[in-house]
Amino acid sequence: MRDTLSLLLYLMRLRVRTRLEFRASLVIAWAAQAFGYAGVFASIWLIITRFENIGGWTWPQMALLLGFHTLGYALGACFTLVQLRRMEEIVLGGEFDTLLVRPLNPWAYLVFSGFNIEYGGHVLLGAGLIVWALPQIPIEWDVETSILIFGALLSAALITASMLTMIGACAMILGRARYLFGIYFDFWELSRYPASIFAPAFQIALVSVMPLGYMAYVPVSVLLQRPVAYLGSAAEVAALAAGPISVLAAVVFWRFCLRRYQGGGG
Amino acid sequence: MASIISAENVSKIFQQRVSQPGVLGAVRGFIAPIKRPVPAVDDITFSIAAGEAVGYLGPNGAGKSTMIKMLTGILAPSAGMVTVLGRQPQAERVANARQIGVVFGQRTQLWWELPLFESFELHRRMYRMPADLFARNRTDLTEMMGLSSFLDRPVRHLSLGQRMRAEIAMALMHDPRILFLDEPTIGLDVVAKDVVRKFLSRINRERGTTIILTTHDLQDIEEICPRLIMVDEGRLLFDGAIGELRSRFGARRRLTLEFVSEPGRVRVAGAELVGGEGRVREFLLADDGRSLVELLAALEADVDLRDVRLHEPGIEEIIRTHYQARAAA
Repeated sequence: MRDTLSLLLYLMRLRVRTRLEFRASLVIAWAAQAFGYAGVFASIWLIITRFENIGGWTWPQMALLLGFHTLGYALGACFTLVQLRRMEEIVLGGEFDTLLVRPLNPWAYLVFSGFNIEYGGHVLLGAGLIVWALPQIPIEWDVETSILIFGALLSAALITASMLTMIGACAMILGRARYLFGIYFDFWELSRYPASIFAPAFQIALVSVMPLGYMAYVPVSVLLQRPVAYLGSAAEVAALAAGPISVLAAVVFWRFCLRRYQGGGG
Repeated sequence: MASIISAENVSKIFQQRVSQPGVLGAVRGFIAPIKRPVPAVDDITFSIAAGEAVGYLGPNGAGKSTMIKMLTGILAPSAGMVTVLGRQPQAERVANARQIGVVFGQRTQLWWELPLFESFELHRRMYRMPADLFARNRTDLTEMMGLSSFLDRPVRHLSLGQRMRAEIAMALMHDPRILFLDEPTIGLDVVAKDVVRKFLSRINRERGTTIILTTHDLQDIEEICPRLIMVDEGRLLFDGAIGELRSRFGARRRLTLEFVSEPGRVRVAGAELVGGEGRVREFLLADDGRSLVELLAALEADVDLRDVRLHEPGIEEIIRTHYQARAAA
């Protein structure tokens, strides 16, 4: 176990060193991503200042929601997005075969060898929004609140990593899976808003089959003591449990796909 | 000698979607796809003893890579049983991976952006090699493969030949008992091919590493592998020493006689006249093992000879002839 952990950390170090070889492009990527998000958030801020709130959520509350959403996503995606979005090429080009002849779990190799420090921009922006928003919101701080904040962020990271893993795993049996990421990101973009502004069917989807509601909307609603439709008093536990449950689902699905993998690349 | 690899009645069947012609066919295929089973490997049995070097040969689509994938744990057979070092490779993938080395000619396992020695270090950690074993093997393999001049160079700056030498060295770093090579010389120039072949031959001879090699280049097999397994359309065609191939496939030697002047009617007992004009005559010889002296002694001609050539068909020619005959049939 210690050897495996040390190997995975070494893989991350190799990846970071590789990325640091191209310093200029890294700094540009950080800036571009942070500016891209900042632009989206600024437009949301403009809408709120014009209409005072979105579905009853004020700008500091929305900033907390966006901060949770961005930071939770970044923590999960920095390990998974780039490699798993390439899963189709990895499978069709035969690169996945080379992972299967190594004495290591291929998912672990993929994830840790692809650790992406480009998400630094996301992390700074997400953490910055949370740090800015929290003092402006009347929250009763106690141990439970702290556990909820950190636990929910971890859960959001796990949800992201699990969903990206499940989508990427589809490439093992379908060959092509890239289009599924498009569907995921359509939902993901909508999940940065309070789910209560959407139709009931979409709200139900966000807390069930496409559990992106747990990334920010559910935990932030609990923090703000807002009611969460369909979950009620179970919202807090659900926000913390959604991540581990997603991980279990992803593990089962990855293994299911791996058993059906028929090779690629000739 | 005890076998360390065995395949018993192994088959691998893929489900292939049948394309239907026309737009309507494409729509029909989208709504209700028709699939047909395609056997990539069809009831193949063989065993390989420790220390052997075996060439696994066949045309594109013959099932070579599929068999290698089953032996290395990438795929499971649809039927039959594969065992490598007493294990079922896919069921015990990680344990199997620790004792084998695999080189894919067209896919690198090296870290592209980092110096070569970093890939070796990662390999050491992945295979949990003791430091002294790693140091010894790294020194030996670096020297044998001539890697020292580019160990600290990023892999992306290496030539294809340098990269392939590095891939093979890395695959051997943890002292695997079996080395699988899938098209290791593909794309290499003549000099690089020669280096790789000599090295593999030496590793097999000196370290006793079992080698299984798939290739399109028959010279790889002639220089490295005394034993050949030949497959076609998933089925086993031949399994034996390269020397047996000729008799098995009925490939015959060709005798070319060049005379001082137009010889008229020429006969060689036990040989069939197949061509030639002017002063040249060509014969296909019966597979009776006669020497050139015996053949010339059996020559019935009134004109003196100017030159004699006896052509032994190479395995490439034998195999090409076989595949052409099959394609024609």
